[in-house]
Amino acid sequence: MVKCSKIEFLAAVASTHVRDGENVFGGTGLPLLASLLAKETHAPHANLISEAGFIDARPRNVPLSVADSRFYYGCSASIGLIETLGFILQAGRVDVGFLGAAQIDEYGNLNTTYIGSFDKPKIKLPGSGGGNDIASSAKRLIIIMTHEKRKFVKKLDYFTSPGHLEGPGSRKKWSMVGGGPSVVITDKCQFDFDPKTLKIRLMSVHPGFTVKDILDDVMFDVIVPDRVPTTKEPTQEQIDIMHRLDPNGIYLAKGGE
Amino acid sequence: MTGTEIDDKRITLEEAARIVPDGAHLFWGGFGYQRAPIAFARELVRQKKRGLTIYTCGSEVDLEIMVGAGVATRFDIAFTAIEALGLANNMRRRVAEGKAQVEDYSNLAMAMRFMGGALNVPFMPIRSLMGTDMVQYSRYRGDKKLKVIDCPFTGEKICLVPSAKPDFSIIHVQRVDKTGNAQIDGIVGEDLEGARCGKKLIVLAEELIDVDEVRSRPDQTKIPAMYVSHVVVAPFIAHPVQCHNYYDYDLEHLMMFHKMTKTEEGWQEYLKSFILDVENHYEYLNHVGWEHLMSLRAKKPWGY
Repeated sequence: MVKCSKIEFLAAVASTHVRDGENVFGGTGLPLLASLLAKETHAPHANLISEAGFIDARPRNVPLSVADSRFYYGCSASIGLIETLGFILQAGRVDVGFLGAAQIDEYGNLNTTYIGSFDKPKIKLPGSGGGNDIASSAKRLIIIMTHEKRKFVKKLDYFTSPGHLEGPGSRKKWSMVGGGPSVVITDKCQFDFDPKTLKIRLMSVHPGFTVKDILDDVMFDVIVPDRVPTTKEPTQEQIDIMHRLDPNGIYLAKGGE
Repeated sequence: MTGTEIDDKRITLEEAARIVPDGAHLFWGGFGYQRAPIAFARELVRQKKRGLTIYTCGSEVDLEIMVGAGVATRFDIAFTAIEALGLANNMRRRVAEGKAQVEDYSNLAMAMRFMGGALNVPFMPIRSLMGTDMVQYSRYRGDKKLKVIDCPFTGEKICLVPSAKPDFSIIHVQRVDKTGNAQIDGIVGEDLEGARCGKKLIVLAEELIDVDEVRSRPDQTKIPAMYVSHVVVAPFIAHPVQCHNYYDYDLEHLMMFHKMTKTEEGWQEYLKSFILDVENHYEYLNHVGWEHLMSLRAKKPWGY
């Protein structure tokens, strides 16, 4: 078994969901690391787009901001936000978007805005940023989260970005461009969505965890198929590449969201 | 008199901040760690402005400074944090205290609000926000926040966001001539729309160039002088974040800032040391130290 941290495992698994040649909206943090890793391994033709305006980016060091100059050299176009979030994303040209969140519900809806009530918020989180736009309009969405029970909630404190909303038909009702979340990856397991109900479903469990561990660590009912496979471990090559991309461990050393 | 007829629009940073009255609404330029007009935020604090409303997609250190010092109290924004370093501590505290209010939008929604303002139309349609709490809840705009309607042409649901026409647009660029023709390197974020939506535009630039330089490469002009009311030229305006081709972010300072803002005491100490106890922008740069600042200068060909 390859020795790796929970964060390394999470980023490596996330990278496997990027397909070669896709237009990918990465953002910063673990999503960026995952998409860069995909590009360095099985998806060399993935087109990484940062909402600040960088298109077809191939940074040599990991950027700390979506607008970081580290995205600039080697990208094929450096434009702006109407270009990326408007002409590219809203027009339906993004294949896959990556998002993290502080809370997720059983339909993959996300909260990145407030903890506590709207009227008297306990914690102001960053807000939507481009998250709501990506969740609304990317063809499919990959959600990355560290696995803590308090994050997998029956009801979001605030509903920032759409997953499958209230289930079948909801996205069509709001004429959404994109197809919604396809997978949720945590440091303990992978979830996908039951095609009939669009509710979260256990897809695979990472080595060292049981189905019970997962069910104990979410606050809603999870659909569990008859057979739940173990998630494939990262390779040493994947781990090495991640450390080359993030030599100072800015993302690998912490929870990173 | 049109903008192009004024030969020299240069004023000092202090004079530019003095033009902004209490209670004014400002478009705020820059995106993430890039080209943020932070020196202007520090000057607004020194001049003890109050009751400002800020419009932007996402800003970071500058919003923290303005909300922390009580200069700005309302924010039409999509995002605030110190990105890779973590939550915006001052914003978090002021919101919890009820001293600051955020009207939450998405980045595309804000960019389209600026586009609408620049185009002089009352609203712009977007395909985001629908079905979420950003439609359900408003902090202070009430039913003027947005509207979801059935499209009169196709019948599908569409979200209308109100155009923004703030009193001022504050933009930081790499280069400008004295009449206001502004050049931006790297990404523009939402600054092209933002520069054109405000009633008055103040351009802050790292470098002054001659009008002849502008006319020899006119495709580099991202904001023509005709939009520009005032020009401020000063170095390291975005410190501690970056300005493409000029300097990198000061990660050490950013980490110190984020750490100090974790407590009110820490923030008050930063506020005193780096803003209130320095007389002006140059005193701030002296305080940070020129040897340190020069170590941040961008290297070719990387731009950081």
